[in-house]
This record gives sequence, structure tokens and C-alpha cells, in this order.
Amino acid sequence: MKVRKETRQLARALLRASFTDGQLDKGRISSLVQSLISKKPRDCITVLSDFKNLLRLELEKRHARIETAGPLDDGTRSKILANLKKKYGNQLTTEFVNNPALLGGLRIRVGSDVWDGSVRNRLQRLEQQL
Amino acid sequence: MSSILEEIETKIAGLKTSTTKSNVGVVRETGDGVARVEGLSDVMLNEMIEFPNGVYGLALNLEETEVGAILLGDNTLVMEGDEVKTTGKLLQVPVGKALLGRVVDTLGQPLDGKGPIKTETFYPVEKIAPGIIKRRSVSQPVQTGIMAIDAMIPIGRGQRELIIGDRATGKSTIAVDTIISQARLNKAAEEGQIKDYRPLYCIYVGIGQKNSNIARTLAILEKAGAMPYTTIISAAASDSATNQYLAPFAGAAMSEWFMDNGMDALIIYDDLSKHAVAYRQVSLVLKRPSGREAYPGDVFYLHSRLLERSARVNEESGGGSVTALPIIETQAGDVSAYIPTNVISITDGQIYLETDLFYQGVRPAISVGLSVSRVGSAAQIKAIKQVAGKIKLDLAQFRELAAFAQFGSDLDAATKARLDRGQRIVELFKQIQYNPIPVEQQVAVLWAMQNGFLDPVPVERVKEFQLKLQDYLGTRKEGLLRSIREKKEIDKNLETELASALNDFKATWQ
Repeated sequence: MKVRKETRQLARALLRASFTDGQLDKGRISSLVQSLISKKPRDCITVLSDFKNLLRLELEKRHARIETAGPLDDGTRSKILANLKKKYGNQLTTEFVNNPALLGGLRIRVGSDVWDGSVRNRLQRLEQQL
Repeated sequence: MSSILEEIETKIAGLKTSTTKSNVGVVRETGDGVARVEGLSDVMLNEMIEFPNGVYGLALNLEETEVGAILLGDNTLVMEGDEVKTTGKLLQVPVGKALLGRVVDTLGQPLDGKGPIKTETFYPVEKIAPGIIKRRSVSQPVQTGIMAIDAMIPIGRGQRELIIGDRATGKSTIAVDTIISQARLNKAAEEGQIKDYRPLYCIYVGIGQKNSNIARTLAILEKAGAMPYTTIISAAASDSATNQYLAPFAGAAMSEWFMDNGMDALIIYDDLSKHAVAYRQVSLVLKRPSGREAYPGDVFYLHSRLLERSARVNEESGGGSVTALPIIETQAGDVSAYIPTNVISITDGQIYLETDLFYQGVRPAISVGLSVSRVGSAAQIKAIKQVAGKIKLDLAQFRELAAFAQFGSDLDAATKARLDRGQRIVELFKQIQYNPIPVEQQVAVLWAMQNGFLDPVPVERVKEFQLKLQDYLGTRKEGLLRSIREKKEIDKNLETELASALNDFKATWQ
């Protein structure tokens, strides 16, 4: 249990050290990982996988997944992107996914926030209310 | 945040759809009735979270990257990778008079096959107990109908009295007797036999019990006509630990509705030892650090916040009350174990049941020395105080002398008298189960004992004398009983009436 606590603390310290000016720094991350591998501290693999998880969550917070029922035209895409970037900053990465199960509308997920304007969601809510 | 929401919303409004914002997470691990969910950055403690397939959970552990949640429904429907949503709601249960006469589960869903429960009101399961300003002291009695309790360890409305003892010593029986007694009083009051009586509604919470036990209790209550005033909440041994952990809180919410609406309620937690065990399971599976006997550190707070919700509120707040009778099962009479000491310290007294007494035939097996009510005589009517004021002392002296008397046969007259009196009190306090005695009968019998009417009766015939006397008073001297009930004290007139009634009875009794 104690070892687990220490590895978590180390992983967290690594994450804190991965930022430059509030942004994730690819160069720093790779050098941190390199130095960790060369030093091989106790439970090195657990620390690295914890670090990977923390980084994944951190990246998810800066990644927008935009799901639509059908393909979007370029104008709408750029409008959505502009709005999202206004809110979350220019670092935001985006991904457009085609998901026919939505039936219509769109669903945007950034980190654990979801804006759901899909027809499927509306139908589900209607079902719950009824 | 709101600007982008508004902009996207206006766009979607153009598409004739509406948008909902939610906070989501992904199930990383599930098993043993709990799920660990990644994400859910905005979740609040104790918030309900929604899993797919209509399963709900409660967020109990908020960690850095994960949330530990207990599952309320069928946990086999939850899979790794499922998306989980926050709901912004607390767990609620239906409350109100519609629940009387019903058997429900932890979430207030009927288990008795009598159709849906029609109520519009819901109360959150976890609620902060009434504060100091709203409370007033306990002054009205809860007539349990068990003579030993009403005379020596009185329970008041708003009190928390622990029933503690080993397995099979009659703990649940005391609780069931009390419910039956309340039902009889409520019915009598409805029929106009008792004036100015505030009905007391009962809630029986069965935690981790066998389904057969619950069914038996239900049958007893139905037979005694007590179900119209009673709700049974069942979280049986086969239910999940989550349901067993939440059941007493659901019961507390249902009883609070009565208090908030100016009525009186009695809630029985049968039993809190199993509740602590269920909570220990939940906590260990959630990987919370364990403490003494592997219980989590907050097991004291678990019971203190539950029992603190029973209260007597003042007139401005409606004057209602919630009386709690928690039950604790000890192992081989060990009251110094972790959970018993915790609950003893939280409650306003305890009724301690002893195995030895039980097998000696003293039933209810109440140990007079170890049982106490910290509210004391404030919760007794004056008549009982007049006849039972010294009984506890008499009995304590009797027990001390009885130990001595075993060594020698030469006893002085005073000691002999005290021993004889003690033996007769012990006999009087023996009572068959599910047969509560009305308070006026108790007063008459104790008055007879106090005034020496029982002294000539041989010890082995005291019980018979008492039963016949009760019968006689009930059939032939109804007026006398009614005046005791209405006056609530024994004055000179009543004393003469009682004396003449007893003399008449003694003349007929052989």
C-alpha cells in the first residue's frame, strides 16, 4: 500500500514537471521519461503507467470529440472549432467523428463535460419523462 | 463556459433540438456492488450517478482521477467502459401516510404485492438532524406495554433507547411488542376511548435479516392489527450491502416526514450490528482505510448522524417527534466491543437483555442493573411514578440480598420481607410475548404489589394472581381503569376504589 502511494506521488510530480507556461511540453515529457528509465527507480513500470494515465486524462481535458450523425460542411465545422477554441484556448485538439446512432444533431465532449444536442439524447429524455 | 453553451445552444435550437450539458465518466472497474469511474470531474459527494440500463449509483469516494460509487440496482448490468452521467440529485425515498401498512425496500419500492405506493412527497435519504433551536426536551411517554420497561426504564417520545443483548434473547420481541402496544393505543384513540392522544406511527427497519424473520414479524403485526400504523422496510440478508447500508437512512427519512408534519413516529433499527457490517463491506470494497475490527474510521459518525435524527421538536416546529429503538446484537454478552460501545454512547440509555435471565425463565430478560434510561421519569405519567418510583432500588437490593441469602437460612424479618417483595416483583415483570399490558393495568397491578396485596400470595402463584386480577379489572372494573387512564395519577379517591376492588378480588381468588 505504501509503495503504491509513493508511486502515485512520483507520477503526480512527473506530471507537474511536464508543464511549461501552463501547457504540456512534449520535449520535457520525453526527457522525463528517458531519465526515469535510465535511473530505474523502484516500481518504475508502475510509475510510468500511472504517469501515462495522468497524461491521458490531462490530454482528454484538452481534446474535443465532436460526434455528428452525418458529415458536417466546412463552414459549420470552422464555426464550432472557433467557438470551442475561444472557450478552451488554442491548445485544444479536435476530432470529428461520424456516429449515425445519434440520429441527428451533434454531441461534443471535452474532458468529462458533454454537450448533447443529439436526437437520440432528446428521445431518451422524452422516454424518461414519459 | 456559458457563452459557448449559449452559442452552441442557439445553433442547435435552429436544428429544432435542445441541448443538455452533463458531466460524464467512464467505468474503469466494477465488481462487488461498487464501480470505479474515471472522469466525472463535477460530481458531488453522495450524488446519484446514472449508469446505462437504468442503474443508479451513489458517489461515495471522490479521488483525484477516479470516483468510487456504490451501485443501487442490478450490478450485473454495469460493464467496464460504460458511460456514466451525473444527475445533480440526491437519493430520495417516498414518504407519507401512503407507506403505512406496506412492506417496502430501501428505495421505498413495494415488496408486498399490494400495488404501487401513491405519494407525491419525497425526502432525501441523508438529511441534517434538527438543530438545538428546534428541539425541546422529552416529556411524553412511549407506552411499550412491557411492564418492566414502562416502570423502570421509561422511554419518551424523541428518545433513542438501545436494545442490546445476545442472539435469541428477545430483542426484536421487545420492538414488536412496542409496535403492537402503539397500534392498540392508536386504535383506542381513534375509537374515542383515549382523549388527547397523539398517535404514534411505527417504522420497522430490518437490516440483514433473514426473509423468513421479516415474514414472521409481518405476520405477527398483521395478526395483532398493527400494520395499518406500521411500515416495514426490508433490506434482507440477500440484498446488496449498499441496500443494507442505506435502509436505516431511508427509514429515518420516512419517520422524519411524520415529525415535520407535527406527528409522532417510532423507528426500530433491527439491527445496527449488521448495518455496521454492511457499511464495513462497502468501505473495504471501496478501498477506504480500515480501523478497529476492520470497520472504517467513520463508523461512529455513521450511527451518530443516523440516531441524531430522532428528536422531539418544539411547538413552533410542529411539536412532532421521532423516537428510535436501535437494536445491537452482542457476542457472548460482550458490551465492550467496538459497535456496542459506540451505540451505547450515542443513545439515551439501553435495555440490556441477558441470556442467563432468559433461560431462568425471566422473560423479557431485562437486566435491571445494566439497563438505564437517561431521560428517566420525565417520560412517565404520574401514576406510574407513584407506584414504580422505588422498584428499581427494591430490585437492586433484592439481587444483592439474594446472593447472600443463598449462604444461610437465618434471616431477620426485614431481610425476609425484602426478599419476598423482590421475588414477587420479578414474577410480576415476567410477561408473555406480543401481549402488551395497558398502562392503567400496570398501575393497578403495581399498586397492589406496593400496598402488600401480593404478600400473602405464594411466589409461584403470583403470575396467576396478576393475570386473574387484570382479567377482573378489565371486565368488572372498567370505570376504575378508565379513571386511572384519564386522571393519570392516583389520588385519595382512586386509592380507596383500588383498595376496595382488590379486596373484592381477593375474596373471590383462591
